[in-house]
Amino acid sequence: MNPLQTRLVKLILSNPVTVASGTFGLEYSEFFDLNQLGAYVTKTVTRFPKQGNPPPRLYETACGLINSIGLQNPGVEIFCRDHLPELRKSLAIPIIVSFSGSTITEFEEILLLLEKEDGISGYEVNISCPNVENEGIAFGVDARVVFDLTNRLSKLTNRELIIKLSPNVSDIASIALAAQEAGADSLALINTLFGMAIDYRTGKSFIKKGIGGYSGMAIKPVALALTYKTAQAVKIPILAMGGIYSWQDALEFLYAGASAVAIGTAGFTDPLLIPKIISGLDNYLTENKITISELIGKVSF
Amino acid sequence: MSKYKQVQIYKKEILNDSYFILWIKDEELSVCSEPGQFFELRSKGIGANRLFKPISVYDCDKSFIGFMIKKLGPGTSALSDLKQKDYLELIGPLGCGFPLRENQKICLVSGGVGYPPLWFLRKRLSSNNIIYWLHGGASASDIFPCDEIWTDDGSIGGHGFVTEGLQDHVTATKPDLIYACGPEGMLKQVYHISKANGIPLYVSMEAYMACGIGVCHGCVIPCGSPENVIYRPVCKEGPVFFAEDICWDLL
Repeated sequence: MNPLQTRLVKLILSNPVTVASGTFGLEYSEFFDLNQLGAYVTKTVTRFPKQGNPPPRLYETACGLINSIGLQNPGVEIFCRDHLPELRKSLAIPIIVSFSGSTITEFEEILLLLEKEDGISGYEVNISCPNVENEGIAFGVDARVVFDLTNRLSKLTNRELIIKLSPNVSDIASIALAAQEAGADSLALINTLFGMAIDYRTGKSFIKKGIGGYSGMAIKPVALALTYKTAQAVKIPILAMGGIYSWQDALEFLYAGASAVAIGTAGFTDPLLIPKIISGLDNYLTENKITISELIGKVSF
Repeated sequence: MSKYKQVQIYKKEILNDSYFILWIKDEELSVCSEPGQFFELRSKGIGANRLFKPISVYDCDKSFIGFMIKKLGPGTSALSDLKQKDYLELIGPLGCGFPLRENQKICLVSGGVGYPPLWFLRKRLSSNNIIYWLHGGASASDIFPCDEIWTDDGSIGGHGFVTEGLQDHVTATKPDLIYACGPEGMLKQVYHISKANGIPLYVSMEAYMACGIGVCHGCVIPCGSPENVIYRPVCKEGPVFFAEDICWDLL
């Protein structure tokens, strides 16, 4: 029995470590064998190409990173034509495609285009990107909209349907419950927090668009709390992320209620971090003769 | 093929209060590094959560690589604290370098910490070229060996911007080609001069980076036209760009 094995609903993962959408690509195969991952999550695709936000798009703080990428991507059709075949060829692990739209109909169109493609194991529906107007986060802050969107998408696919939630809401549990009731298989959280940085010498924002998405070490306690809060509210599995830099961090999220985790910003600080986290988890579980499934949600007080 | 490595500092040269050179000895990396390419560097002491900083190659000599660095923020300050035999973490060589030309009248233009990649470029450009290098900085501490010096405060060389010297040089000698690296304002001006005189220009761009390998789309610059902007990653499609490809009005 592989102590690292875990599952969402339709997806069995050989280990709980995946990647946060937008922070990872096949480029990392120069550093390690990507098939070590539990699953691969793509950068978010949209119905049509998106040029993204004007630069500067990045600012590093003492313990985190603000980004304002704005979902730059070639659109779902070019993704299916040029990128997906490469992913299928390179990867033997589940491929989860992240996508976002500006209307419910557009989400449906993207899903239907992806349904025609082989080699996709699941979808991460991005309703929580803080860097685009009229899409992404606009859908993720209202429980009724989340219910309608999830309800319509869940009828169109038999693949794992993961709804990615925003931390920038007053009550994440009600949003999570709406997604669960409407047929989401699982939830991913958290997307980035709102963040901003200003140069005190000039009064100028370091990010061109002003407010960006904040990630990295600083957000771990927030992510952990929201993972716990969500896990208490729903029965469906959680793919958790936010400031995971080590196997110890990953374990904390499992205790809080996550069934799997994703590494994002931390990967930029060490291209070999992901295999280190996987082997660290493996050693710990083996030494302590426990399995992942025995830990999930078992935080004590 | 880029690599992640931990390499010992072979030698550290302190040039002045701001600038220093870290030398490493690594033949594998040295032989495959080209002028204009960069490495992502990080001091092992700075903390696991800090990003690498993109630093261009200053020099490659047999098995040695030199990185000439200016202390600017926490990342470069931590690099400046490294001593001989300390470990440097690096990823690289990364990005696309300068195209090398032969039998040309070439002008190099640099500003401040735009100097290092041009030093390596000058070294690798064939001796059948005629090369003239103008370098400018805020003050004397930003000035390094070249053919013509400019400073903002007039403490050494010409008093003013290096682009004033470039204008005169272009008028007098009509170079075939310009290579430039420096602050955005300087590069914009160099572009206007090159365009007005019909001289091809290659620029090495600087940008805030996260991954350094083309994954995160954080370090982009606007290319194409204002009506049809394409944001290209400096780390992967640059740092060297043909100046005509950049949408300078949006910078």
